[in-house]
Amino acid sequence: MDLTFSPPLHKQRHQFVVDFVKRNKPKKVVDLGCGECTLLKMLKFHREIDLLVGVDVNGAKVKRKMHGLAPISTDYLEPSYDQLRVELYQGSVTQKDARFKGFDLVTSIELIEHLTPADVELFSEVVFGYMTPKTVIISTPNSEFNIFLPGVSNYRHSDHKFEWTRAEFRSWAMKVCLDYGYEVEFTGVGKAPQGQQEAVGFCSQIGVFYQLGGRDCCKTLLVNDAEDLFSYTLLYSINYPSLCDNNILRRVLVSEVLYWAEKLKNRWMEEQAGGICDAVALCQTEEGACAEEMKDLMEWSGASDSAEKEGSCTSSRIVAVPLDVLWSCCPKVSVLSGSLCNLKHLLMDEPNIKLSQDSSAVLVNHWEQDQEEKEDDYNLDDSGYPETSLHSNSAEQEEDWEANN
Amino acid sequence: MTGRARARSRGRARGQETAAPGASPAQEPAPAAAPPPEAGDLGGRGRQKGAPGPFSAEALLQISAGFQQVKLGERGGRRRDFHDAGVNTRQAMEHVKESKCGVTGNPIQLTANFFRILSRPQWVLYQYHVDFKPQMESRRLRSALLFQHEETLGSARSFDGALLFLPNRLHSKETVVHSETRNGEKVQITITLTNELPPSSPVCIQFYNIIFRRILRILNMQQIGRNYYSPSDPLNIPQHKLTIWPGYTTNILQYESSIMMCTDVSHKVLRSETVLDFMVSLRQQCGSQRFTEICEKELIGLIILTKYNNKTYRIDGIAWDHTPSNTFKRGDADISFKNYYKSQYGLDIADENQVLLISHVKKMGPAGAPPPGPAMLVPELCYLTGLTDKMRADFSIMKDLSTHTRLTPEQREGRLNRFITNIQRNADAQAELDKWGLSFDKQLLNLAGRVLPVERIYQGSRSYDYNPWAADWAKEMRGLAVISAPPLNNWLFFHTRRNSNEASSLLQTLSRVSGPLGIPMGKPVMIQYEDHQESLLAALRHNVGPQIEMVVVVLPNNRKDKYDSVKKFLCVDCPTPSQCVLARTLSRPQALMTVATKIALQMACKMGGELWSVEIPLKQLMIVGIDCYHDTAAGKRSIGALVASLNQSMSRWFSKCVLQHKGQEIMDGLKKTLTAALKEYLRFNGCLPSRIIVYRDGVGDGQLHSVVNYEVQQIMDSIGSMGQDYNPKLSVVVVKKRISSRFFAHINGKVSNPPPGTIVDSEVTRPEWYDFYIVSQAVRSGSVSPTHYNVVYDTSGLKPDHMQRLTYKLCHMYYNWQGIIRVPAPCQYAHKLAFLVGQSIHREPSMKLDDQLFYL
Repeated sequence: MDLTFSPPLHKQRHQFVVDFVKRNKPKKVVDLGCGECTLLKMLKFHREIDLLVGVDVNGAKVKRKMHGLAPISTDYLEPSYDQLRVELYQGSVTQKDARFKGFDLVTSIELIEHLTPADVELFSEVVFGYMTPKTVIISTPNSEFNIFLPGVSNYRHSDHKFEWTRAEFRSWAMKVCLDYGYEVEFTGVGKAPQGQQEAVGFCSQIGVFYQLGGRDCCKTLLVNDAEDLFSYTLLYSINYPSLCDNNILRRVLVSEVLYWAEKLKNRWMEEQAGGICDAVALCQTEEGACAEEMKDLMEWSGASDSAEKEGSCTSSRIVAVPLDVLWSCCPKVSVLSGSLCNLKHLLMDEPNIKLSQDSSAVLVNHWEQDQEEKEDDYNLDDSGYPETSLHSNSAEQEEDWEANN
Repeated sequence: MTGRARARSRGRARGQETAAPGASPAQEPAPAAAPPPEAGDLGGRGRQKGAPGPFSAEALLQISAGFQQVKLGERGGRRRDFHDAGVNTRQAMEHVKESKCGVTGNPIQLTANFFRILSRPQWVLYQYHVDFKPQMESRRLRSALLFQHEETLGSARSFDGALLFLPNRLHSKETVVHSETRNGEKVQITITLTNELPPSSPVCIQFYNIIFRRILRILNMQQIGRNYYSPSDPLNIPQHKLTIWPGYTTNILQYESSIMMCTDVSHKVLRSETVLDFMVSLRQQCGSQRFTEICEKELIGLIILTKYNNKTYRIDGIAWDHTPSNTFKRGDADISFKNYYKSQYGLDIADENQVLLISHVKKMGPAGAPPPGPAMLVPELCYLTGLTDKMRADFSIMKDLSTHTRLTPEQREGRLNRFITNIQRNADAQAELDKWGLSFDKQLLNLAGRVLPVERIYQGSRSYDYNPWAADWAKEMRGLAVISAPPLNNWLFFHTRRNSNEASSLLQTLSRVSGPLGIPMGKPVMIQYEDHQESLLAALRHNVGPQIEMVVVVLPNNRKDKYDSVKKFLCVDCPTPSQCVLARTLSRPQALMTVATKIALQMACKMGGELWSVEIPLKQLMIVGIDCYHDTAAGKRSIGALVASLNQSMSRWFSKCVLQHKGQEIMDGLKKTLTAALKEYLRFNGCLPSRIIVYRDGVGDGQLHSVVNYEVQQIMDSIGSMGQDYNPKLSVVVVKKRISSRFFAHINGKVSNPPPGTIVDSEVTRPEWYDFYIVSQAVRSGSVSPTHYNVVYDTSGLKPDHMQRLTYKLCHMYYNWQGIIRVPAPCQYAHKLAFLVGQSIHREPSMKLDDQLFYL
């Protein structure tokens, strides 16, 4: 009998974790035995998570794939409000590392069957006794299901040290719960053929462990382990760009402020210049209050720019766009800055932003005229290019180019 | 041509640094597409159709000969030979086998943006063939099975499914290992050594590029298209919602004497708004009535990035009837786009009514499966990259951009040095290089160039030299009469009532400047027109007849449609030379003299006048320039233009263009045109040219092959059609402006641009080509970009020195600019003609204008 799972079983296992994450919103997640980081790559899109860690005993495997966990271009283009840090380690789950304490979720997908029974003991102690996460997801093959898998005589993979029946898994899990104060739910993915689910169970059995009584007990443990253990090697770490980073927030805010200041200025200038009612009317109907306010508050400062000295007829004036107008007109500015006071504060020492004397308005240059001519080819009057002595071969001999053929 | 049009044509020529969709990373399938197998670390798609048998010696030779055949790549996707490697044209040209270097000029010490690649002595890359028993279909599975033997293979390796490359030799020639699949199936893997590749073999070179890409990844740079950019310190231009990422183009190739990496600073323009934001604000601007039309015009052809993968897509269409609630097939079940993105990437789609974008994914699906359909993309999850044509035409945007992207030679050299230092300082990057036994030179390449002497400019009996650094003789030309100019007696001058002042002051100034320039100018008929397109056209129709020698139109604003209709009417319907002037150009009294001089000169050559010449020491020579214009955005047909010289002094030209039909090569049409040019030459000179030199511009990356193998033959056929015993000497030179090579001179202890006339024909040229670089133009700001000339066919026997100097001379002959330009004049003429036809006329201009530079 041939049994194929759709989607494939390994995807179903990962999807199980993703669904769990979506429901329970853990903030710190570690995947033990992350291998090629496939699960981590799926999890990085779920930005409830702010620390995503993977560890595998095979560092080379992780290294090959780790760049797939880097932020992508658009993560930089529009930084999110959420934070995310990704860390990858090389290390064995049978060893303790202080950096792995206090996680919300630890996943161990198809891992324990690769450990010797002695190592499984260590694993239990490290994960449940030392790391003491709030929740743990452990998946492992269900050997009762092997009857449906053609070609599987002993174990599903040659490296498997054991494959448990449901009862064996259950007994191990119950012991762990008892020893370390957890409770467990059993489930799985990969259903058995019609009518035999009850008798055989899932192809991959999964235990979901919940820590009892919150995190009280781990405090005592922390005291016990005074010395910090760092047995794993950090292979890769990256912070995703986030608006929580003050520099990034500032940069995004400044861009947004300048964009809107320019936009508001242009709108206002059009009204001024046109004098024709429809431009004004349009503005007022579209965002009435805003346009009104602008008219009252903006002022010409009439300063002429230094461009004048070139004798060009472009002169510039400075337009003041009040911060409160910006704050109320542009939703993104208000969201980013939080309050008007904060906005003022954030813009205060920005080199790219000119504020009015009392810091109540952004000053924007307004070019009276299109500058097209300036750049055009008509500046032939520039004289006095540096004379250099590059004249060479002044007496060039007459040469017969056709001679050689 | 108006200043505006000039700005446009310049902007256009610069080109867009957008990504080729084929060269994009393949990580996530587009939802509509059947998921292709995830691209492994290494591995092409294509080589492994069926199980490859052992390689014959001949097959291996082919692999080393050219690498179109070898598909080995870090990421999947269509692979093109962007560097035109494998096109070996030099071997057929006896006279440059020994040396292709010129001799004339003063030597100059230069640095170039090249770094040598150093490998250990006796370094070889070992190529193995890997055989699986039983055979494994999936390439991923094959990699997984093979890499279970890390202890045998080592960590430095590269495998594409059939070929394995290792930096070291395995113990025996044949290694047999055993692996096991997830299902417990036992697989025997035989690894057989098939080849030892020396450092300069094409496969190795491709290999270096792959390793280098890994290094850029290690430096946390983002791949967009073919280049890598660093997103961590962006330059923002908030006024236009633009973000610029600084980055580098790199490629490693076998150059004349060594393997080097050519690297240049590159900037990626990105938009900090989604396609949906863009569409919403566009709708606000233009109203819903014309929205669909304008939106398609603006968006189609643009390259986008998505929020969920690192891929770039080209927008090929808009599915106006699709929304995120539409479903597609995923596995066995249907899923809506909205749910897909939510479940797969945790992305919420806020606007349920947005339409979807269509992108034709060119990549092949998994072997055997039908090619994936077009990808449907959700605008809210996509970001625009690059510039639209509208933005390119916007002077203020381009100006703001150039302040950020235009680097002085000093800045550019500094950035390149910093780049290589960063690689050297990064431990991980060094470790990767060490693993393969490779390293880079620490310094930019030093090389020697030559500076050609200044050309003497002749105007009738007078002659003068220009300032070599300015490469411009507008000043010298003042008060000198041009060689010849047809008298202008019967001409019309159109203007609106509002622009009467400007019109009359232009006319006054024209008559003042035309005398000294030797352009006889009578009084025109002044005609006023209403400021409507129809009224202008009616006025033209009413007044322009066959006896009219010239039409001048003062345009009140730079609305393109008006310019287009004037040009269309006067190039096609009623062929007459015409000159459009923007009223604003005339508004500055202090510039009016200069403007009028330019206009007078332009008018003179549009009517067949000759302005100046340089000495051309070859007799009975015809120079041909070819360029084309691609209207890619709207999928319109391309336009090819051919311009051929008619006289000894290269002052009279025959110009013709063809509109390319679908599926046709540009040369098919130009073949007839070349014959027509030869006939015209015969009519003009009473004999056919004994020498023809074709400068072919507009050849894209990876298209050299088709020029060499197809176009040259077409040119020869066309010449052959003139008679059996007609056997002129022929040279075909491919001209390339968009290249990443840069040269720096060090003058008085300062890094500066090389002076105009600088020739480089060693070190950074390619051994398999007869090629050279010329820096012919002078730039006032930023770094100068050299032009690359590749002589792909040459029976002229002309010495390389003469070929170089002739080419440089021709850069002096573009009558619309009193100075030296980047390309030989016929190429620039051909460019102007193709641009005018592609942008404004959209039809073949009348034959009556063939002998005039009417398109200037």
